[in-house]
Amino acid sequence: MKKNSLTIILSCVAVFCFCFLSNSFAAKKKIVIGHPACLSGKYAKAGEQAVGGIKACIDWVNTNYGGVTLDGKKVPLEYKYYDCESKKESVTSLLGRLITVDKVNVVFAPYSSGLTLRGAPVSESNRMLYMDHGGANNKIFTQGFRYVVQTIGPATAYHEGTLNMIHMTDPEAKRVALAYEDSEFAKMVMEGAETHAKKLGFEIVFKRTYPKGVTDLTPLLSALKASKPDFILGGGHFEDGQLFNRQMADLDINSNALSLIAAATLPAFYEALTSMAEGVMGPSHWEYGVKYSKSEAKKVGMEWIGPGQDEFVALFKKAVGKDTIPDYHAAEAGAQVLAYVLAVEKANSFDTDTVRKALGDLTFMSFYGGWDIDDSGLQVGHSMVDVQWQDGKRIIVWPREARTGKLVYPIPTFAEKAKGKIATP
Amino acid sequence: MKTISKYYPLLPVLAVYFIMFLVGKNVSGMWQLVAMLLFYCALGQAFNIFLGMTGYVDFGYVAFMGVGTYGMAVTITQLAHVEGLGFLVITIGFLMALLFSTLLSLAVGAVALRLKGAYFAIATIGVNEGLRFFIEGARIWNGSEGLIFMAELNQILGRKTASALATFWADIMVLFIAMSAAYVTLLFMRSKIGYALTALREDEEAAKVMGINVTKYKIIAFITSACFAGLLGAASWALKTPYVFPPEVFEIHYTIEAIIIVLLGGAGTLLGPVIGGLIYGLSKYYLSIYMPGFQLLIFAPIIIVIIVIFPEGIIGMLKNRFKDTSLARFII
Repeated sequence: MKKNSLTIILSCVAVFCFCFLSNSFAAKKKIVIGHPACLSGKYAKAGEQAVGGIKACIDWVNTNYGGVTLDGKKVPLEYKYYDCESKKESVTSLLGRLITVDKVNVVFAPYSSGLTLRGAPVSESNRMLYMDHGGANNKIFTQGFRYVVQTIGPATAYHEGTLNMIHMTDPEAKRVALAYEDSEFAKMVMEGAETHAKKLGFEIVFKRTYPKGVTDLTPLLSALKASKPDFILGGGHFEDGQLFNRQMADLDINSNALSLIAAATLPAFYEALTSMAEGVMGPSHWEYGVKYSKSEAKKVGMEWIGPGQDEFVALFKKAVGKDTIPDYHAAEAGAQVLAYVLAVEKANSFDTDTVRKALGDLTFMSFYGGWDIDDSGLQVGHSMVDVQWQDGKRIIVWPREARTGKLVYPIPTFAEKAKGKIATP
Repeated sequence: MKTISKYYPLLPVLAVYFIMFLVGKNVSGMWQLVAMLLFYCALGQAFNIFLGMTGYVDFGYVAFMGVGTYGMAVTITQLAHVEGLGFLVITIGFLMALLFSTLLSLAVGAVALRLKGAYFAIATIGVNEGLRFFIEGARIWNGSEGLIFMAELNQILGRKTASALATFWADIMVLFIAMSAAYVTLLFMRSKIGYALTALREDEEAAKVMGINVTKYKIIAFITSACFAGLLGAASWALKTPYVFPPEVFEIHYTIEAIIIVLLGGAGTLLGPVIGGLIYGLSKYYLSIYMPGFQLLIFAPIIIVIIVIFPEGIIGMLKNRFKDTSLARFII
């Protein structure tokens, strides 16, 4: 009897030890992505999208892809996120918890350049990889951070595609006007546009900013009209972009092309302006409808990973529990998951320095487009897409591998639009 | 003995800060949380010097933090190329933060402190936004683009020291600012300044009739409070956050947070802002961990309940409860 009891006790201990050890082993066998997400506060909309995009791609990696291949075994991804309320104080405190308590393997930065910068010193001091999907400011990558890696395209690259497209479509066009909001973001975008325009041989015939919350652009637009530009790049936010377009119509200022950042890609822009918005363009990091695919990747000699566009959209809807199309915030955050997965697989490790090196060598394409970073971690492989309003629909006109329609150039004049002419190629 | 007993109320304040420091240093993953709590405690304590002691609500308070941040940021960016200055740059930065916040408080105080109560509050609402538009519109200090200066900090102090400064020493500086603000509050409370401020808070007209120069004492409290805000901005927003964007350092949200912290703990009390800062910071932190995305929905009713139950703040209530006990000398 005694012997039996002893055997039972020893068996129980053995089972307990086995369970404990196997659990500990299993606990190590997962890769955790940490994220101080902006689920409330001023960046809540972008933050919710980002969380949905990350969940969708993690779901794809764990179910369709079978997990991350590490030492020949498939390791699942886990996602740990907290709400930073779009506030810098919360970013650092939650980052500290993610790194030291939750022991995550990588941290995804919160939305915006400011919040990304706030967390960077903490992640650097903890030797933690810090992936940026919402901070477009180029200066983040001139500060000497070693572990910050960007997925979102830099602000200076916003209009590169637009300028390349116009340069190829109309080699005669030389005169560019830049009129934009006096904000950190718009200034950086236009600084990049100016540099790239000069590189392509364009002449900047007009360059002026307007204050945030502007209610009348008439004086600025009148001066712009006098400079007789071939095309115009402008904007800053939705309200001023809409005002810009409306007052251009009032003053009958016509040009071959008009591209407005932040405003023109939104459905509300066309709803507010209707026919006045015909032919107006805007750059975007990603738009539903892009044609990036495995075959496109093969054509340009790039590796492909991740779900196709429609699969991503379906996974996103499942993740957020709503029947809604994701925007570019979701796509870029999702693509970041794929970049990390590929880098871990190539490095065959989740050690920070090894993965950082692998990310530096990595070039691939996903539903989001190309991905490649330079030595500082700045994204150089992702092209912005250019969207143009044609007959009330958002048509992706650039880059060629992603486009869903041809560019309308020159766009109809405001007088023609008032008579019902629509922008069709 | 009497001189020492004057400082008894500082003991619980210092004890709380000491415990926070120990927890932050010794419990894994807690330092950044402690840093956030220290920020809220320091913010509450600095704001309490004016709001708590005069009863005036300054809605433009964040502007003093903003100019303090700029004081440090401009110093770092301008002096980065001067070799051999090292930590002297940080000292100059703090002096600039003090100078900027003093000048701004003199300018604002000279106009707004002529007004009373709600009129004063309304007059200060636009200060932070006005200053922000001025910096952006006049394009001073790099205008709307702001300043990013981690590279300059690396250049001045070396990468390792700059990193330690941003992740640890800046928080220690915030701790010293919080303790200094507590000490100055106590000095005010135990001096003629404090009695005059109490008198004007209770009834400004009566204080005037009694021969108290209320404008003088209001200005003293206003400038002192603004100086601590400037120092806090320099330490917590410039050294810990190596960038300054105008919309972020002139955000009215921080003034609202300061008001909540002071009212939660007890306006005009010494220990109140510390307790208010702790409750505010800890609630926000743990709610964001356990209920990400919904914490504000829960947090708002909690604040309302606390304010309803303790209209004089938590320390205000404790002060009344322990009025005639030996604990009374520690809780003021």
